[in-house]
Amino acid sequence: MNLAGRLIEKLIMSHLIEIITASDPDIRNRSLDAFCRTASRELLLAECTALDEFRRQSDNLYERVRALFFLYAIHRFHLPLKEGMDQGGIIPFDGYMNLLNRRYQEAIEVFVAEQVGEGPNDSISSALAVAYRGLGFQTLADQVRRSVRSVCGNQWMFRTGHPADHPLRVRHELRRRQNDMFPILREVTPVRMDLTHSGWSDIFFLGMDFPEGARVINTSIDLSVRHNGRSTPPAPPVEAYFRVIDEPLLRLTSVDLGATAVVTSLSEIFDFARDYLGLLKAAVIASGIVPPGMEGAGQPLADLLAQLVGPGYGIEIVSRVNDIPKGSRLAVSTSLLASLIAVCMRATGQAENLTGKLSENERRLVAARAILGEWLGGSGGGWQDSGGVWPSMKLISGELSGPSDPEYGTSRGRLLPSHRIFTDDEVSAETRRQLQDSLVLVHGGMAQDVGPILEMVTEKYLLRSEAEWAGRQEAISILDEVVELLRQGDVQAIGNATDRNFHGPIQTIIPWTGNLYTDLLNQRVKAEFGDDFWGFWMLGGMAGGGMGFIFNPLRKEEAQDRLQHIMSETKQELERAVPFAMEPVVYDFSINELGTYAELSVGDAALMPPGYYALIVPSLLRMDMGRLPLFRRAELDRFGEACRNEPELGGMVQMLFDRLLPRELDDGGSVQDLDTLLNEFGFDRMQHEQIRADLRGGRIGLAKNRLPVNSQIEDVTPEDLYDATGGMAEVWHDLGTDAMANGAVAVVSLAGGAGSRWTKGAGVVKALNPFAKLGGVHRNFVEVHLAKSRRMGRKVGKTIPHVITTSYLTHDPIASYLAREDNYHYPGPLLLSPGRVVGLRMIPMVRDLRFAWEETAQQLLDEQAQKVVDGLHNALIGWARQMGEGNDYSDNLPMQCLHPVGHWYEIPNLMRNGVLARLLSVRPELQYLMVHNIDTLGVDVDPAILGSHIDRGSAWTSEVITRQIEDRGGGLARVDGHVRLIEGLALPREEIEFDLSYYNTNTYWISIDRLLELFGLTRAELDDEVLVATAVRKLATRMPTYITIKDVKKRWGHGQEDIYPVTQFEKLWGDMTALPEMDCSYVVVPRLRGQQLKEVAHLDGWLRDGSATYLESLCEWG
Amino acid sequence: MEVTRAVIAAAGRGQRTLPLQTLVDSDGTEKSVLCILIEEVLRAGVEEICFVVRPGDEVPYAQEAAKYGGRIHFVHQEEPLGHGHAVYCARNFVGNWPFLHLVGDHLYVSHSRDSCTQRLVRVAQSEACSVSTVQATRENYLPYYGAVGGQRIREKADIYRVESVIEKPTPTIAEQRLMVPGLRAGHYLCFFGMHVLMPAIFDILEEQVGAGDGQIEVTLADALSELARREQYLALEMHDRRYDIGVRYGLMTAQLALALSGQDRDLVLTQLLELLAGRELGRKAD
Repeated sequence: MNLAGRLIEKLIMSHLIEIITASDPDIRNRSLDAFCRTASRELLLAECTALDEFRRQSDNLYERVRALFFLYAIHRFHLPLKEGMDQGGIIPFDGYMNLLNRRYQEAIEVFVAEQVGEGPNDSISSALAVAYRGLGFQTLADQVRRSVRSVCGNQWMFRTGHPADHPLRVRHELRRRQNDMFPILREVTPVRMDLTHSGWSDIFFLGMDFPEGARVINTSIDLSVRHNGRSTPPAPPVEAYFRVIDEPLLRLTSVDLGATAVVTSLSEIFDFARDYLGLLKAAVIASGIVPPGMEGAGQPLADLLAQLVGPGYGIEIVSRVNDIPKGSRLAVSTSLLASLIAVCMRATGQAENLTGKLSENERRLVAARAILGEWLGGSGGGWQDSGGVWPSMKLISGELSGPSDPEYGTSRGRLLPSHRIFTDDEVSAETRRQLQDSLVLVHGGMAQDVGPILEMVTEKYLLRSEAEWAGRQEAISILDEVVELLRQGDVQAIGNATDRNFHGPIQTIIPWTGNLYTDLLNQRVKAEFGDDFWGFWMLGGMAGGGMGFIFNPLRKEEAQDRLQHIMSETKQELERAVPFAMEPVVYDFSINELGTYAELSVGDAALMPPGYYALIVPSLLRMDMGRLPLFRRAELDRFGEACRNEPELGGMVQMLFDRLLPRELDDGGSVQDLDTLLNEFGFDRMQHEQIRADLRGGRIGLAKNRLPVNSQIEDVTPEDLYDATGGMAEVWHDLGTDAMANGAVAVVSLAGGAGSRWTKGAGVVKALNPFAKLGGVHRNFVEVHLAKSRRMGRKVGKTIPHVITTSYLTHDPIASYLAREDNYHYPGPLLLSPGRVVGLRMIPMVRDLRFAWEETAQQLLDEQAQKVVDGLHNALIGWARQMGEGNDYSDNLPMQCLHPVGHWYEIPNLMRNGVLARLLSVRPELQYLMVHNIDTLGVDVDPAILGSHIDRGSAWTSEVITRQIEDRGGGLARVDGHVRLIEGLALPREEIEFDLSYYNTNTYWISIDRLLELFGLTRAELDDEVLVATAVRKLATRMPTYITIKDVKKRWGHGQEDIYPVTQFEKLWGDMTALPEMDCSYVVVPRLRGQQLKEVAHLDGWLRDGSATYLESLCEWG
Repeated sequence: MEVTRAVIAAAGRGQRTLPLQTLVDSDGTEKSVLCILIEEVLRAGVEEICFVVRPGDEVPYAQEAAKYGGRIHFVHQEEPLGHGHAVYCARNFVGNWPFLHLVGDHLYVSHSRDSCTQRLVRVAQSEACSVSTVQATRENYLPYYGAVGGQRIREKADIYRVESVIEKPTPTIAEQRLMVPGLRAGHYLCFFGMHVLMPAIFDILEEQVGAGDGQIEVTLADALSELARREQYLALEMHDRRYDIGVRYGLMTAQLALALSGQDRDLVLTQLLELLAGRELGRKAD
């Protein structure tokens, strides 16, 4: 480029950099989208070059991060839509591997070099988008980590590496026994409630980027759960206990999780996933008892304890959460972490007072340590989550960083905000009382993963996307309004404001915060309480879990009772479509005026909570009393005395007796259920035993899924397929339209699968999940597919038969939904095709787990999160050994032990269950089936593609799309000279996939008679069950069986969930293309038509990149 | 300002017999710790010394210090009510004058010609205020010492204006309140065990002893912290060595330090080397 060209380029490029670097807020807060909408492809590419150069040179964290997010958004949302952008290209495998290993910078170098060499295209842009986004979040996370480490009071913990250097000592008050009993320090901590929904402004990154907008009205509350319309008086829900013991070890117990562990080595402390005590371990580390600097130290834990407490002594820490379920959106886990940290800090002299309240400075340090603890445990929320450490109602505000802050010069805001507790003038006692009398707090029971939402918010705020940025301003003004209304004491108006906030800015920023469940609850409460329902109030990251409803105080008690019913009924309606973790609950609450608070019990009063003894005493009683330490014997004496004399320990003796002599578990029912289900759903015991034997014998397994390594696998050439992305011949369109008008085509939607990536193994039906608002209403996948068939049927003047294949997992829910919704008023034949085969999950082989985790490319996580995952993997390998590799998996609800066996069976099922025969009797003119996945939302009965299929006379036409980075799992290839679809599982080496230009959409056009011919059947023979079954079994043996590892959820306790890997097998329909006698064609379709919506986390991008709008254009709602 | 009186506290728990231990001083003569301390103090120009002892300890101390005649005085601390209380017990001896204060279980080895106390007293006299000696100390020793936070005074090497004093702080608190510019990471200014204090300290101690009502131990650190709020109070950073003879092997280490800095240096070094060599050679022969 000549000098003038460079000058022009520089002038042009300055535009986005100017936005990033501007000190004037009007310029700095300009939207990227607005600029990109009118910019040409060339201009955007030039901007990308400039931004990439700029972010490499800038020293300022936020300039760098904003440039990275701009680059991400341009590549993800804008460049692919620009005129002249090439479709398809190769994504270099080494760049992909860099992404998996979080080496984003190197990945960007590889992708940019590819872009320069081969020219820009949407494939490489998709890869660049992922890399820039990853680098953006990595840069932000690194900064938060640095800030946490550099908070004054935390730094020493990272320097202390040897037990002999440990500078803390347990306070003498705790080492002094009375009546042989060590004193117990008990910390009680309220949880926090966010009165306005902060618009997620307390996410660390956002507070540091825009501290002026980071504000939260945060209230510390005590809670109790109502049971059958009654509850005990609210109390601080979180408790932590600390005491010295006369054994040189660390004993950790979580009363509510029923878990206890004796820790004798330093390495065990840093193994968070080993048991359910990760939170306690994080607190032990973050409080400095075992400073983070000691990770990897080889010295005995006893040496460290000798320094801390004295030779021969140790520490016991106990946590308890009083009946509050997980996912309450009240920051229970952060409050518990803070409570544990506070008790440990007091015990080691890091707080001035052993008991009572903490000073402001100490609260701040506890909050900073809680952030550190969350990071250690691989999680993290926002800074308001430790609000329960402070008392009462307060305004928490982001702060500009000053010269004395570690963030100064790096980010505009500080990591830690400031807390201002409202005075009585600002919120009178009367207003506080009214608030308590009006608000009904609930847990709706939904299982939620707010992680993706927090990332979406971060991204949108940093991009200053127009609507979202305006929404943020509105949310900020609503906060000001609530502050004023609190001063005025107008609770009804507060209800109105929080309601407006939820339905307005919050859902503008993140549409996924609301859902069908919350919409229905709001409607039903409104219908029942009318004007006495003053407003909905969303708590935390997303609705469906913790929520608030504000009522006229006169009707609060009635509302509490009714809400319990309304929520339970609504949950029952939706529970097969929406993941619920537990039964909904209603709380009683009161404002806590103390914040975190500690008391010391000494002598005979120094007992742990009753639940602790229920857990510990049975094992102590089995031991020889003479071998128990003196203090344990004394404790048992006191406990026995308390059981006899204190009414609150009334049922304890019976409970201990039951634990000592457990009754035989009556699980006969569930085993029987499982057997019944297996019989009912067509379980093939012989095949199962064969698979088990092969699995244990090493004849099948993850590694054996792959084709031989000497298979010749190449990319296809343009002659191997035809391109429908640039439009199709008119003649095909007419041919297809005529065929449709003649009733020659039907649609088959594959809905038998578990959709495990979508539901995360929750056992709900993806097809029924109301995933998005379309046409102003929450719609599920089934309804969307029917709407497209309705539209096409109307256009050609002939209804299109629509078949939905189901399985044991999905049949009843889909059938009842369709019945309830009157088939969504679908005008044509609508049939369900129930599954005929089911598998029983097995405990995985350790070699398969190792293969999955160690030998296939895995996404490396953030350093600390990865440590947690590695620890978890070790624990799960131990679990598999303990349970018996290859054994049946039966330790869960019966339905969770079964598995669908892959979509290969879904078409043969049409023959076996008589649905195809019925269809042909209704529509004898039927010739073709369009088969598609339930999550291929953009697909419809396209007349031109149908026309081309007919014109070519193929038995089968597969739709493929050009590959983008997220399209993993095989593609179209020439395998040993034969063009076919190949599954990712079958590729001998992972990198081969990156040489394949096209990805399988799993949409197939099938000529019915040709398919029957392949099975050796005719239309007339479809009525012969035995013949059909034999034909299907015969062809099934020619299909490869893949062994896969899937995650399954097991729920327990109060909304707790564990995820286990299980082995299952599947056969896949795309492998039919490998049959030499199958006459296949392949067509490249536009991405909007062929892409699949696999993960909830992709919803936001799907909405923003035009996919949702495209889908709406295909639908006609009934 | 003249500093003619000194108070040495020797009534602490486990501290009472330590000053009676015998060592070979750097001049090669055998002396008790008590005498070494008395000579250190007298070199600084002090004329009279008061030992704060538990009742009953006075006799062996007096016998050991007999050669210093009437310059040695004793007061009793009836109950072990803390370091601050021990100093407070000497208020009548001190009167309304500045005084030098040491603890009875520490020995000092100076790296220069002047003794540690000489330099301290000189600084206190020139600044005309209370001065405590301090030393940059790694944070893992914080559980053993009082520590100060403050700012270095420009153009006065090693002198700091004290802003806060905390007894045995945790590093958590030290990092927040006792960070001193110019010190290495993880190092704090901990007490070296010598102070020149103005008589105003007794007013503060009186308040604190009164508030404690004989039930709560009174620390000197708390009184010094208050002193820093009321008037100018400085810290002098020492680069010499102090030896706590009350800790495990403390007496032996102090003896070695004295020997290695005195006239018997070569003799002691030779004996140490012989000990080590013999041990290692013996091990190899095994």
